[in-house]
Amino acid sequence: MTLFILRRLLLALPALFGLLVLTFVMLRVLPHDPSAALAGENATPEQIAAVRKAYGFDEPVWKQFVIYVGQVARADLGNSIISNRPVTSDIAWRLPATIELTFVALLFAALVGIPLGTMAAVWHNSPFDHLMRIVTVGGLAIASFWFAIILQIVFSMDLGWLPLRSRYPEGLPPPTDITGLYLVDSLLTLRFDKFWAAFQHIIMPAFTLSLGGLASIARFTRAGVLETMQKDFVHYAEAAGYARKRIIWVYVLRNSVVAATTQIGLLFGALVSSAVAVEAIFDWPGVGSYAVSAILTSDYKAVLAVTLVIGVIYAIVNIVVDVVHAMLDPRVAENP
Amino acid sequence: MKRRTFLVGTGAAAATAVIGSPIALAQRNPNELIWADQLPGGLDPHALFDVPMQGYMVNVYDTLYAYEGNPPKLVPWLATGHTVSEDGLTWTFKLNDNVKFHDGSALTAEDVVWSFQRLLGIKRGAASAFLPVLDPANVTAPDKTTVVFKLKHAYVPFLSAVPLVAILNRRVIEPNVKDNDWGTAWLASNSAGSGVYVLDPETYRPVQQADLKRNPNHFKGWGHNASPVELVRRRNISETTTRINALIKGEIDATDSYLPTDQVERVMKSKTATVSQDESMRVMVLRMNNRKAPFDNVNYRQALSHAFNYKGFISGVLKDYAVRNAGPIPANLWGAPKDLPPYDYNLDKAKELLAKAKAEGAPIDRPIEIHIQQHLAQTTQAAQILQQDLRRIGVTLNIIPNLWPQLVSSTAKPETTPDMWVHWVSTYFVDPENWIGQMYDSSFHGTWKASCWYKNEKVDKLLQEARRLSDQAKRTALYEEASRIIVAEAADIWIYNTIELRGLSNRVKGFQFTPVGSGANFRIISTTG
Repeated sequence: MTLFILRRLLLALPALFGLLVLTFVMLRVLPHDPSAALAGENATPEQIAAVRKAYGFDEPVWKQFVIYVGQVARADLGNSIISNRPVTSDIAWRLPATIELTFVALLFAALVGIPLGTMAAVWHNSPFDHLMRIVTVGGLAIASFWFAIILQIVFSMDLGWLPLRSRYPEGLPPPTDITGLYLVDSLLTLRFDKFWAAFQHIIMPAFTLSLGGLASIARFTRAGVLETMQKDFVHYAEAAGYARKRIIWVYVLRNSVVAATTQIGLLFGALVSSAVAVEAIFDWPGVGSYAVSAILTSDYKAVLAVTLVIGVIYAIVNIVVDVVHAMLDPRVAENP
Repeated sequence: MKRRTFLVGTGAAAATAVIGSPIALAQRNPNELIWADQLPGGLDPHALFDVPMQGYMVNVYDTLYAYEGNPPKLVPWLATGHTVSEDGLTWTFKLNDNVKFHDGSALTAEDVVWSFQRLLGIKRGAASAFLPVLDPANVTAPDKTTVVFKLKHAYVPFLSAVPLVAILNRRVIEPNVKDNDWGTAWLASNSAGSGVYVLDPETYRPVQQADLKRNPNHFKGWGHNASPVELVRRRNISETTTRINALIKGEIDATDSYLPTDQVERVMKSKTATVSQDESMRVMVLRMNNRKAPFDNVNYRQALSHAFNYKGFISGVLKDYAVRNAGPIPANLWGAPKDLPPYDYNLDKAKELLAKAKAEGAPIDRPIEIHIQQHLAQTTQAAQILQQDLRRIGVTLNIIPNLWPQLVSSTAKPETTPDMWVHWVSTYFVDPENWIGQMYDSSFHGTWKASCWYKNEKVDKLLQEARRLSDQAKRTALYEEASRIIVAEAADIWIYNTIELRGLSNRVKGFQFTPVGSGANFRIISTTG
C-alpha cells in the first residue's frame, strides 16, 4: 500500500508541472500585458516600458517561466502585481472558505444523493424513479447562478429565514482561527452559537453548489445499485430469507459504494472550480471571487497561483480517492 | 422511544430550528456604515489612481486642495491658499499648521515635498499628470508651512490636479522601505495618512473588505457633523443582484454608483432604500482609430457618428439615466460649447457620407472591429446597437470581447490600437484638460486617452495655449473652439454624460455627490437607526 501511495504521489507531480506550464504559457503568450494599466493614467510609452522592465515582462517567456518555477519550488507564488501583496497570504485567507463550502456541498450531495439513487434503483421504472430522473437531469442542467438567486429571493428576501450573503454575520467576531473552517473551529472551541451562525450562512451556497453533484451521485448510485442487484449473492441472500431492506441498504449499497467513492472524489475537484459563480452570488470570500478579480485585472501571478492551488487540491483528492478505492478493493493496489 | 421516532423527531426539530427562526442579523450599530462599493486593487494612493482609489483616498488621506459639491468646487484643504507667479511657473502653497497624521506627528511642508517626490519617483498612478511639468528637485519647502513648486513650463491645470496627490507620513513609511521601493509593498496593505478615517489594517482583505475608523483628531474638526459615522465597513459585493438585495434588506447602506438602470425603480419602490441620481462628469465614448483606413476618412467617421441610435440607447437601454453629450467635454463643465449640436441618428445621411468616403477611395467595405470590455454590459449593448444599424447601411462590424489592461496596452501604437473601442472618461481632475486636452492633443499619443490618434495642428495649438492661460474666460473660448473642430471632424463618437446612480439606505443622511470620489465622502455622512 505504501508503494501504491508513493507511486500515486509521484504521478501527481508531472501532472501539476504540466498544469503550471500550460497556465503560464496561456497567460504569458496571449496578449495579456498589464503594464500599461499598471503604469497609470496617461502613462507614456516610456513609463509603460519601465513598468514592463520592473516586472520582468520584457524577458523572454522561457526565462520568466524558469524564474517562476524556481519561486514555486521555494513555495513562493510571488506578489500580486495589482495589490503588491504576497499572493500566498491572500489565497491562504480565502482557501478555507472555499474548502469549507465545497466539503459541505459534497457532504450534502452524498447524504441526499446516495439514498435517492438507491431508492430510484430499488423502485426503478416506477413513478418515483421517473420523478427522480426529472429532478436529477434538472439538477445537472439548471444554471447555478439562476438557482442561487431564486433561493436568495425566496429564503432570504421573502421569508427572511436565511442570510442573503457572506460567510458570517457582519460585525460579529468569527470563531477563533484554528483551521480556518468556521464550522470546525466553532465546534473545536465549543462555541455553538458561532457554529449556528456559520451554519445558517453556508446552507444556501452549499445547497446551490451541491445541486449538480447531488444529481450526479444519485444517477451514479442508481446505476451501481441496479447492477449490484443483478449479482448472484443478492439472489442467494433473498433466497436465504434476509430482509429486503437489509439486503439493499447493507449488502447492495456496500458493493456499489466503490464507484460512488470515485465519483465523489472527482466531484470535489469539480466543485472547487465551479464554486466561482456560487461564491460571487453569495458574496462568499473564497478563492473563486479572488480568481475572477485577478482575471479581470490580468493579475497573472494571482491567476497562476489560484490555478496551481486548485490543481494541488484536485491532485490530493484524487490520491485520497485512489487510496480509499484501494482499501475498499485491494485488487486495485495489487494491480495499479 | 423507538430509534426511528427519535431520529424523525430530532430531524424535525433541527429543520424547524433552521428554517423556522428568522436569522438574528448582527445588530446594526447606529454609528456604523456598510459601504458596498469596489475597493481599489491596492491601498497605495501613489501606485494606483482610479475611481475606486479616489473613494478610498478622499477619506484616509488629505490633499493640498480638495473637491467639494456638484458641480465640484476646488477648495483649500491642507493648504490655506496659494499664489502663482506672473509667468505661471512658481506655485506657492501655505499650509495649515495644525494638521496631525494618524500617528500624532505634525504634517509639515517637508511631508508634502516628500510625497510629491515619492509620486514622481514611483512614476505610477497619478504621476503622469505631473511628470511633464515637474521635476522632483523643484518641489521645495522653504519653511514648515510653505511648499513651492517650480514648473518646467506654465501649466494652469496644475491646481486642478493637486487633489490627485495624497500627502503621506514619511516617518511611518520609511522604516518599511525595501529594495528602494518607496514603501509601496508595505503601503499596499497599510495607511500613512492624516485623513478623516484611519484604515484598520487587520481587517483589510484585498478586493474584499477594509474597515475604516473615524479619526477624531482630524484638523478640520467634526463640528459640521453632530453624529459622525464611527466605523465604515468597506465591502466589495461583486454580484449586482446580491448588492441590490442586500441594500433593500438593510444589510448594507450603499451600493456602487453605477446601478443598472432597470434596478433603479425596484430600489426606489422599496421602503428601506433610495437611489441618489447625480449628473457626473463621465463621458461615454466610442473611440475610432483615426490612423487606420477607412477611419482616416472624415466622411466615414461622420457616417458612423450618424449611424448610432443615441436616443434608442439612452432612452431604451439606459431609461434616460444619462444626458446626451455632444462632444468630449462633459456638457456640465465650462469649456463645452452650449450651442454645439450633437450628431443625430440619421441612416440616410450616414449612407450619403459613406458614398462620399467611397468616392474618395476609403475602403468602406472592410469589415471593422469594435472592442468591448466584456464585464461591462453597457459596452456590449452600445456595440450591438451600432452593429445593427451599420449592417443596414452595408458596414460589417465585429464585436470583440476584451479587458481593460489589454486594451490599454494595445493603444500604445496606432497599428495595435483597435478600429474602435468603448470606454468612459471619468473625472480624475476637474478641468477640460482631463477630457479634451489629454484626448485630442497629439502630444498624448500612445496613451489610452488619446487612442483615437487624432491629429490636427490647429487643435494642438489651441489646447497647448489653453494650458498656459490663467484667464478662465480665455481658456473657455479656446476649448470651445477646439471642441467644435474635433466634433466637426468626428474624431470619436461621444454618447452621453453619466448620471451616477448610487443605492443608499434610508439610514444614510448627509450624502453629497462629488464627481471626484463619487460621493464616498464619509466625513459629511451620518446614520440614523
